[in-house]
Amino acid sequence: MNYAKKLMLFLTMALLVVAIQFSGSVRAHEEKAADKEPYVAKTMDIYEGFPDWYSPIFKDNVGLSEGAGLFKDYYKPLAMQMYMSPMRHYVPMDVLDHSLFIEKGRRDLCIRCHDGINTGAVDDWKGSAHFNPRKTDMIARKTKIIEESIGREIVNVDCFDCHADTVKNEIRMPNAEVCSECHERQVRQFNSEKDHGRPNHIQAMEANVLVPWYPEADRRGWLAGNGGCDMCHGISTKCDPCHTRHSFSAAEARQPKACMTCHMGPDHPDSESYGESKHGIILEMEGEEYNFDKPLAHVQVGDDYRTPTCQFCHMYQGGGRFTHNFVSKGIWRMGTVPPSNIEYKSSLKAYPYGINIIAPKIDVYSDENLDKRDKWIEVCSNCHSPRFATTWLEQLDDYMFQAFKITDDAQLIIDNLIADDILYPSVAERDIYPLGDKLAELLPASLVGDGVYNAFKTLGGKVPVVGPILGVYAMFYQGENNPSLIETEYAKMWFWYKLQGYKGYAHAQQDVMWWWGQAPMLMQLGKVQSENMRLRREHALEQGSGGATPVSHSSGGSSSSHKSTTKIPEGNVWEVKDLDY
Amino acid sequence: MAYLNGKKEISGGRNLCLRNVLFSLIIIVFVSMLCLGNTVMAGDRLEGKDLYNKYCAPCHGEEGDGYGPLYGALYPKPRDFTKGQYKIRTNATGSLPTDADLIHVISVGIHGTSMMPWDILDKGQIASLLPVLKSFSEAWQFRKPEEAVVLGTELRATQKTIARGKELYQQKECFKCHGETGNGDGPSSYDLEDEWEIPILPYDFTRAGKFKGGATNKDIYMRFTTGMNGTPMPSFANELSDEDRWCMVHYVKSLGDKKSTTEHAE
Repeated sequence: MNYAKKLMLFLTMALLVVAIQFSGSVRAHEEKAADKEPYVAKTMDIYEGFPDWYSPIFKDNVGLSEGAGLFKDYYKPLAMQMYMSPMRHYVPMDVLDHSLFIEKGRRDLCIRCHDGINTGAVDDWKGSAHFNPRKTDMIARKTKIIEESIGREIVNVDCFDCHADTVKNEIRMPNAEVCSECHERQVRQFNSEKDHGRPNHIQAMEANVLVPWYPEADRRGWLAGNGGCDMCHGISTKCDPCHTRHSFSAAEARQPKACMTCHMGPDHPDSESYGESKHGIILEMEGEEYNFDKPLAHVQVGDDYRTPTCQFCHMYQGGGRFTHNFVSKGIWRMGTVPPSNIEYKSSLKAYPYGINIIAPKIDVYSDENLDKRDKWIEVCSNCHSPRFATTWLEQLDDYMFQAFKITDDAQLIIDNLIADDILYPSVAERDIYPLGDKLAELLPASLVGDGVYNAFKTLGGKVPVVGPILGVYAMFYQGENNPSLIETEYAKMWFWYKLQGYKGYAHAQQDVMWWWGQAPMLMQLGKVQSENMRLRREHALEQGSGGATPVSHSSGGSSSSHKSTTKIPEGNVWEVKDLDY
Repeated sequence: MAYLNGKKEISGGRNLCLRNVLFSLIIIVFVSMLCLGNTVMAGDRLEGKDLYNKYCAPCHGEEGDGYGPLYGALYPKPRDFTKGQYKIRTNATGSLPTDADLIHVISVGIHGTSMMPWDILDKGQIASLLPVLKSFSEAWQFRKPEEAVVLGTELRATQKTIARGKELYQQKECFKCHGETGNGDGPSSYDLEDEWEIPILPYDFTRAGKFKGGATNKDIYMRFTTGMNGTPMPSFANELSDEDRWCMVHYVKSLGDKKSTTEHAE
């Protein structure tokens, strides 16, 4: 009997539970019917289409516990990296736990506190299209398109939308992936830069931390000096280097000044060359008449812009299309990669020495590059005649060819010094190449080629490296006696002055072209030559018992006139067998 | 009903009854968990000093001296509780605040500063902070907060009351700090300091709605009446009649420009 009662009790309770659950599900169902599907933010993978090994070492957040790239375990990132490359390195603040606000979805509170701290940021936001997505008719139209693509109405985009990680319940520092929730199209275009190879923005982090001098700087206690590198190279996963916080204005990012904080200085004086060119000067004088509110595709040349901007030329894809891919028309890249269209006498013949992770020589006349050239002419022809544009660009090519020939001359001089074992201090007396003792274990032969791999493996990093591109270390690194003066002077020649002349040409600034370009490049060649003479003379004095003068002081300094005691290495300085150390 | 009757019948067996109660309890707990499952928040519900340390100390400091780790980022500076000086009160000038004052400020925040409304905490949590605040200053041992002042009948804002307020604004030399036009740029405005020798700016009445102690007529009336302890803003409770203080309220409110009023309304 008791069991019967108990069963009844149980059944009643079970019925109650079922009823409650049922009522709950009915309520949920009603909510669903009213609100349709619950909104789920979809973001894209910024490294979509990259090899599998890429994201774990460049993207996955590790805070400041380790670095990025293949050398991630060989340096400790600077603390500011959490802002410069937040996707990899951001660490939420520990002074005030924000999880409560996120958990309770109190987006109203952000402003109440931060208005008293970051007034500037809050004010910027209040003037932005994020605050008022229907600020102008055009912005309203764009907002509508975004709303349709993400399937949600946008009242405004506030702190919470970008900074609150509702999955981890913590504050996040937004990155391009966060932006892609609404601006997927632009982020996808940015990602497409990878299809054109480095240098580009999306892989900019590689050139920062995947270079051996970066971990070497940390090993020597010099990394704080690299803070400047981090500030530009972090662009690979961010949008705000151009669309600055917290306005995120497209109109702002359409102005050349948006590019200039990074694109300036001795290796790529884009700001200086464009800024002082007629293009830049006219913008400077008549900037108020330029209409930066218009999307580039709708700019009426003449009406809206009297001269082109960085963005107008570099974002142009041909056929009137503009995208966030800045490198698709790049032929000479940054001017560092030797062209395959000239003959080399030096080891540049063998460039890139079997290394797979740097760009091969450029065939300026490849079908692909000729196609790019046509697009350039299309841009220039907005104002100039096609003949003017073609002639100008061909003359730029001629400058580059001759600049690489001059580079080749200098490289040959140093090749010979190495071959003759006259480079002073000699390889035996000098420090290793940056991280040279570890490179063979960190970079497999499949990436750097057998020659380079074996050189580092057998010599423990005591390898003389000059010229494009790994010889650029001469500008970043100083070990004990490494590099020597002649190598540094040579690096300045091909990495600074050659590139300055290039930018002067490309951006039509005559003085940069000559006085910052070819003129100092030739001065550097002179320095390399006279340093060569000195080294050879001192070597002869040391060797010569009877006052031998193997170096003719009247030979005009041309390296080709010297008789080398050893054979000039054919092709590749990296191959150990050719380097008679 | 039948079941209830049945229950009565079997209640004779003591053992069984206990078992039934237990059984029902288990089911009740199970059901409540089902219902509440979605609303129970993760994380501990902190109170008192722990709560203070987690959410208040980052600005106000663990010692309550206003030197929390975020001190440097803030202006106006976070309140130093060690002197027992509180600006936003409803009682006579110089007095410690009432409990209701403290709860009010914690709950609604202080406009124009980083003190946000902490209504995210429940009432019990907010109340648990009061003893912590009081522990920072000896003042609480020697003095008692005075009673809240009783509000008189509010005068309406009319041209007449506003004009009277304007007259008083001149007469009481409010303009010396707050400026002729209420922009907070009077001749003395540049050299003002609070009791902590931190530079302090007189309120700019054109930033309508950002009054520290709240923007309702009653709030502003309270500031005229109680003054703001620790700042150069005195109480006018003794100098001005009740009516005059209401006139002042309407006058300073009239100084707020329309634009910023609507801006704040959103």
